Amino acid sequence: MGLRSSLACGLGGLTRWGLRNVLHRSASQMPGRIAMAVDPDVISDLASRLGGDSVVVCGTNGKTTTNNVLAAAVEASGATVACNHAGANMAAGVAAALLEDVGADHAVMEADELSTIHILPALKPRYLILLNLFRDQLDRAGEIDHVADVIVSALAASPDTTLVTCGDDPLCMGVAWRAREAGTRVLTFGVAEDLRLPADRVPEARFCQRCGAELSYEYRTYAQLGAFSCPKCDFARPELDWRATSVSVGREGVSFDVSGAGFDSPVRVSASFGGVYMVYNLMAAFVGASLLGVDAPTFQRSLDSYHPENGRLQHFRVGGRDVVLNLAKNPTGFNQNISLMQADDRPKAAFFVINDDYNDGRDISWIWDVDFERLADEEGLVVLAGGHRANDVQVRMRYAGIPAEIAGSVSAALEACSTIPVDHPLYVLTNYSALWPAKAELERIGEGSES
Amino acid sequence: MSGRTLTVAHLFPELLNLYGDGGNVLVLRKRLEWRHDACEVVECHVGDRPSFSGIDIAFIGGGSDREQRIVCERLLDERDELTAFVEDGGVLLAVCGGYQLLGHSYLMGDEEVTGLGLVDLYTDRGAPRLIGNVAVESRISPQPIVGYENHGGRTHLGEGVEPMGRVLFGHGNDGVTGEEGCLYKNVVGTYVHGPLLPKNPGVADHLLSCALERRYGDGTLEPLDDEAELAANKVMVDRLMAGEEAE
Ligand SMILES: [Zn+2]
Repeated sequence: MGLRSSLACGLGGLTRWGLRNVLHRSASQMPGRIAMAVDPDVISDLASRLGGDSVVVCGTNGKTTTNNVLAAAVEASGATVACNHAGANMAAGVAAALLEDVGADHAVMEADELSTIHILPALKPRYLILLNLFRDQLDRAGEIDHVADVIVSALAASPDTTLVTCGDDPLCMGVAWRAREAGTRVLTFGVAEDLRLPADRVPEARFCQRCGAELSYEYRTYAQLGAFSCPKCDFARPELDWRATSVSVGREGVSFDVSGAGFDSPVRVSASFGGVYMVYNLMAAFVGASLLGVDAPTFQRSLDSYHPENGRLQHFRVGGRDVVLNLAKNPTGFNQNISLMQADDRPKAAFFVINDDYNDGRDISWIWDVDFERLADEEGLVVLAGGHRANDVQVRMRYAGIPAEIAGSVSAALEACSTIPVDHPLYVLTNYSALWPAKAELERIGEGSES
Repeated sequence: MSGRTLTVAHLFPELLNLYGDGGNVLVLRKRLEWRHDACEVVECHVGDRPSFSGIDIAFIGGGSDREQRIVCERLLDERDELTAFVEDGGVLLAVCGGYQLLGHSYLMGDEEVTGLGLVDLYTDRGAPRLIGNVAVESRISPQPIVGYENHGGRTHLGEGVEPMGRVLFGHGNDGVTGEEGCLYKNVVGTYVHGPLLPKNPGVADHLLSCALERRYGDGTLEPLDDEAELAANKVMVDRLMAGEEAE
């Protein structure tokens, strides 16, 4: 470690101390920014001081949960882990997390898709886990083709990184196909059986990433994921390295068997939360953990004690009412949340909160791609609209055939629900910048957070 | 007057659906149904041979460059029929990438791609991309038209082609002339992308009225309770006119 990077680390550490102790602020990014300004190579310098392998998790939806489950499992195995838990997933956030645990055994980092081009060449992780690719925050991230190009370039700049990706997602496999051509090693996971779930809308184009023909599916699990093949060329769901079978998805949670590389017999994984997308997230975390040497019982034990407190499927109780908070920031995420709501057979209320801050994407056109129409027939459903774009949500609901009043806060939404029985839960679904205020409010008014 | 039926053709929804474009078709359908008129939606897919003879309103959305290219090639085969539809007063709404297709040509990278030539305009490129909220004053809407634009293209209208309106906030066709979109016969082209119609019920009703006039000789529409739509419109107009930071 040279003088400059020592100085960078020192300044980064000092900034972190100052933010925490003097300003009482979160130190998830700023120390990294300062360290990177002093030494642009600080990530690679710090990476060289890690004791073992590192893993980067990216993908449009589910990366924070997957990354945190993975990091918790690796820690449960007794190793030390540098991890950007709070989801600061650009290069500065990665640098800050590395500074926090200089010399940890492993780095487990979530990366924004477009930031992989800065993070991979510096961190040179042993594995990149790519979960899925959906439309998200289009005005910032550009078109999905551009996101794919960036990930392919990032892998090319880190040739020893193995890509571990979802074989069921044609868009991920488009990336994998191009990366493999360029010499990247590729491993895949997926669901190896038809889950026979009610079909959701496919917001992404289901077209062959090689020849453009419309893909055919033996079955779909959700969105564009499933057992796909191109009728015109040999682009298809690959022979999976890890397969989920005997999958069960319900209100009580998910469970499935994983078989494949490294396992003589199938391993059961179960969690008390989720939906079909969670099967993929947990499978990715399980695979990542086993690649870092975590055994299956340790992974399951760690998962059993994993209680998300980051607003992702977090449960609260307010005035005796069950309140479920979750992030929903793009059409696929929202559609999956609607599936979760429908798996809950109680009559319910929902508060949809949409902001259009920079971090959300200023453009909220995507709410018209969400299949809210599926909720129109729900008996007893009460919907409230919130956020800076509450009026847009209200109009969207009107055209879905769902009357919705506007509520200015979670408390106001709960107040509006006061006439419906207290055993009807309230689902609070928000996009990115609306999540933290909603969480803070629920922590303030709730009778203790539960999981 | 009620009990009338309009047929709306959604052109290539699986390719041109970049920004919630389908919301426009939903709005047209609902606003007919709420008036006890009927709406039949015909989706035109790749490989279909679109026929415009029974169509009242055609909608074409935006897509990525690759998808827009596929659509343009496909539609060029139908250029004669499309031209006849437009010249006969058929209603055509084209947003974003679809708007660019209306003209003589547009640029994909450095390559000039032949467009449908339905309206006298052409599109070249400029930097930077023109991105952000937009408000447009237009004769086809009692309220300013609000929405979002995101385009690298700069569209230039031919002599005498009427713009859809004047930019109150945002960039419009080229970021220079202060003009946004185009109006030609019953064609509306605009960079206000994705769900143009939900917050701009005046535009939706303008299209419906033109189509009803052409099919039934009477374009009168019963008023609807547009409280939610107009509130959503006003919130954005007020915000933009108060000087939201442009991107
Ligand atoms: Zn193919």
